[in-house]
Amino acid sequence: MFFSGLAFAELASLFAVAGGVVVLLYILKLRRRTVAVPFAPLWERILRDKDATTLFSRLKRLLSLLLQLLLLALLVFALGDPRAVETLLQGRTFVVLIDASASMQATDVAPSRMGAAKEQAKKMIRGMGGADRMLLAQMDAMVTPLGPMTGDTADLERMLDRVHVTDARADFPRALRFATDSLRGASEGEVVVISDGALGEARDASGAVSMGAAKLVFVPIGNAARNVAITQFSVRRYPLDKSRYEVMIEVTNTGPEEEQIELSLIGDGQVVDMTKLKLRPAERLPRFYPNLSGASRTLEATLVPLEGSVDVLAADNHAYALLPERQRAKVLVVTEGNTYLEAALLLDEYLEVTEVTPKKYPEKSSERWDVVVFDRVTPTELPKAHALFLDPRGPGAPVKVDVELKQPGFDKIDRKHPIVRHTALDDVNIALGHKLIAEPGDKAVGVSEGASPILVAGTRKGYKFVALGFDLRDSDLPLRIAWPLLVLNTVNWFTGEDSNYLSSFRTGDIWRIPVVAGAKEAIVKLPAGATERVPVHEGRAVLLGLYAGFYELSVGDEKTPFAANLIDEAESAVAPMDKLLVGGKEAGQLGGFKVGVRREIWIYVLLLVVLLTALEWATYHRRVTV
Amino acid sequence: MGLLDRVVAGWRARSAVAQGDDELFDDEFQRKLDYLALISRRVFAGRMRADRRTKKSGSGIEFADYRAYQPGDDFRYLDWNIYQRFDRLLVRLFEEEEDLAIYFILDVSASMGFGDARKLRYAKKLCAALAYVGLANLDRVCIVTTTNQVLGRMPDTRGKARIFKVFRFLKETRPGGTTDLGEALKVFVAQHKRRGLAVLVSDLYDPSGFERGINVLRYNKFDPFVVHVIDPAEGHPKLTGDVLVYDCETGDEREVTVTAKVLERFAQAHLGYLHSIERFAATHQVPYIAADMNIPFEELILRVFRRGGFLR
Repeated sequence: MFFSGLAFAELASLFAVAGGVVVLLYILKLRRRTVAVPFAPLWERILRDKDATTLFSRLKRLLSLLLQLLLLALLVFALGDPRAVETLLQGRTFVVLIDASASMQATDVAPSRMGAAKEQAKKMIRGMGGADRMLLAQMDAMVTPLGPMTGDTADLERMLDRVHVTDARADFPRALRFATDSLRGASEGEVVVISDGALGEARDASGAVSMGAAKLVFVPIGNAARNVAITQFSVRRYPLDKSRYEVMIEVTNTGPEEEQIELSLIGDGQVVDMTKLKLRPAERLPRFYPNLSGASRTLEATLVPLEGSVDVLAADNHAYALLPERQRAKVLVVTEGNTYLEAALLLDEYLEVTEVTPKKYPEKSSERWDVVVFDRVTPTELPKAHALFLDPRGPGAPVKVDVELKQPGFDKIDRKHPIVRHTALDDVNIALGHKLIAEPGDKAVGVSEGASPILVAGTRKGYKFVALGFDLRDSDLPLRIAWPLLVLNTVNWFTGEDSNYLSSFRTGDIWRIPVVAGAKEAIVKLPAGATERVPVHEGRAVLLGLYAGFYELSVGDEKTPFAANLIDEAESAVAPMDKLLVGGKEAGQLGGFKVGVRREIWIYVLLLVVLLTALEWATYHRRVTV
Repeated sequence: MGLLDRVVAGWRARSAVAQGDDELFDDEFQRKLDYLALISRRVFAGRMRADRRTKKSGSGIEFADYRAYQPGDDFRYLDWNIYQRFDRLLVRLFEEEEDLAIYFILDVSASMGFGDARKLRYAKKLCAALAYVGLANLDRVCIVTTTNQVLGRMPDTRGKARIFKVFRFLKETRPGGTTDLGEALKVFVAQHKRRGLAVLVSDLYDPSGFERGINVLRYNKFDPFVVHVIDPAEGHPKLTGDVLVYDCETGDEREVTVTAKVLERFAQAHLGYLHSIERFAATHQVPYIAADMNIPFEELILRVFRRGGFLR
């Protein structure tokens, strides 16, 4: 036993002073209330009998004094905060990782898996020993410690209240690394994982996570697995008819029983399609909605379980998408006349095309156009707009035009580049072309035999350019479907419109969203309505997306909406795990927590004081001790 | 108990008595007295004044006893038949007919004025009522107030019309002083040579023993009649906790921690005291009436009449 509060000498002094006061007060005789009686001898008769018990009365008074002194001694003892020596030596250190991934929203246990997890954590906190310390951390797409490592149960319970579930998957390896790092140097370290077990393998880019000396404990949560989820949701406009779009939805029954659902597709708040589906256990059901129109901006897919079906996780019943915004692009075509080019540009009704001859090219005011197409001409200097150069020649070309190539071809194509998406350029026949010399940072999208680039994309002074190293008329490219696609892809790439625009972000990822140049900070409005400030790095707002829904990113007056979805089959597979394996070893079970048993002795001492006081009060008022 | 406290308590008791006495003998009370006098006549019909006799031999017509002739005795009362038969001179004694002397000995000690002096008021009413009945029956009525001495005395009087004198006397009576019936009644018997009915109206809270006073009356050939004024509330005082009780007469103090058990024992002691008085009266054939204040005084007066002894 040792005192972690006041020292023994201080306690002794305190007791001596306070005890002296108590004894003094006891010795002082209280002034009694005087009462007249008509015939005192009657009282004396009964007091004569009472005198026989005077010794007992004195004893009772003495007992009363002793009781007061005992109460005082207990209070002084409590002030010393006595602790058992064992608690000093055997304090444990816990890092509790509370799974806050989307699957913890499942309601198979009341009120939810997250609620049950918090309850488990609360039991642990209340069952901690006096010398135990705990660090609470929320585990979702990242790991967030909720406070410092402490033994203060009130603080820990307050921290626990701050745990909130997200729509993201859990980054288990990162959380484990955080936990083991936190326990480094601590003896009796334990990592407690409170989760439904859908955590995946504890391995990241650095390899398998090693627990070191720390003990791993798993507290399983959840008991049911019936769930239907939207596991894919993709939307895109047609490249050649951007007023129409197509949607692909994949619905998966991750549960063990057949389920019936109603799947709705909602565009701009209006129901576009509604279908009832029946899914067998573990069945994936893709649904394709071609040629849709009507929605201009938002799309939402929603599934609702029908009667008799169960869906314990609601978070994966919704998917959101934003259609790319249509912008009317101004295109200036500088040409002596090119029917193929004109035809290709006519395909997109959102393009506002102006055609001028090279002599009338307004070189000084090129910034009025979004895109300038130079057909076999080259300006004296680069325009202040995105530019497509067809067979560039002369000093104003963005790339240096080198030697003439006879019968070049697209022998090597960078198929990932957006300007060649959906195109087939491999067998294009070209009679004559020129080798383009790309500068560092430029991308040689199409390269002919002998490492001779003939299609180069890049950026000059903040404006994008694409240079095609041959004349269209010297090839059969204009006769192919690839030609208008190449032109429209290029214009879309220039204007930021991507026909394969990623209609939504995925929760749990770090999102990098382009913002206007020069911004250092952006404000993002979350689906729930709250706003957050996010940093801008290299022209992109960077944030970790944790919730599904529609967002709006604001930089000044410019607002950029975007959508985010959970679309994570692993999270939707809500079947709880009984075991947790890390490095082939199974996590242990929780033990050593006795709820309601505190190792701070002063609490029990105070309880005893209260009990004795109540006893004294009761006996006094029943005239037992007086 | 400080002196000031006691003075204040005494002053309160006195002012309570003064206030109460103003309405003590109002018209309503007098009407009740007339009613009681009427009732008393019905109860004692045929035993009115002409039938009252004393044990004093005298000039009456009813034979009482014999005694030996002594020189100087009236020859007319010699029983010659006895002389002829036994050769002894015996004188015939006759009971003398006379009016009865009724003494009301009213205890006015501080204990009678305890609290709001309701005991004393009740005692005064009893006194007045019984005195009225006596006066109406042409008895000689005398009222004496005592504590540890004889304080006041209303001289013998007779006739119903003198009741107002009784009222005046009783109204002027104030409580105070300690009780010592023994000493007070010794003075009383010394002052009153004519024997008669001595109605002692008291709470009998006598530290030196209530028996002494009654015995003084008995030993001096008075016919004691005890009207014991009892306030039942005194057996159940509203006390609790640590108190210092003091006797309102003697000022004796005693520390008491009042508990339910103590109160219970006190009630038993009080009851025991009442029983001891009753037992004494029964043992010594002293007419005794327990005047419980919860009983209306008219009913009590009738009870006194029925008990007998008050009017013979």
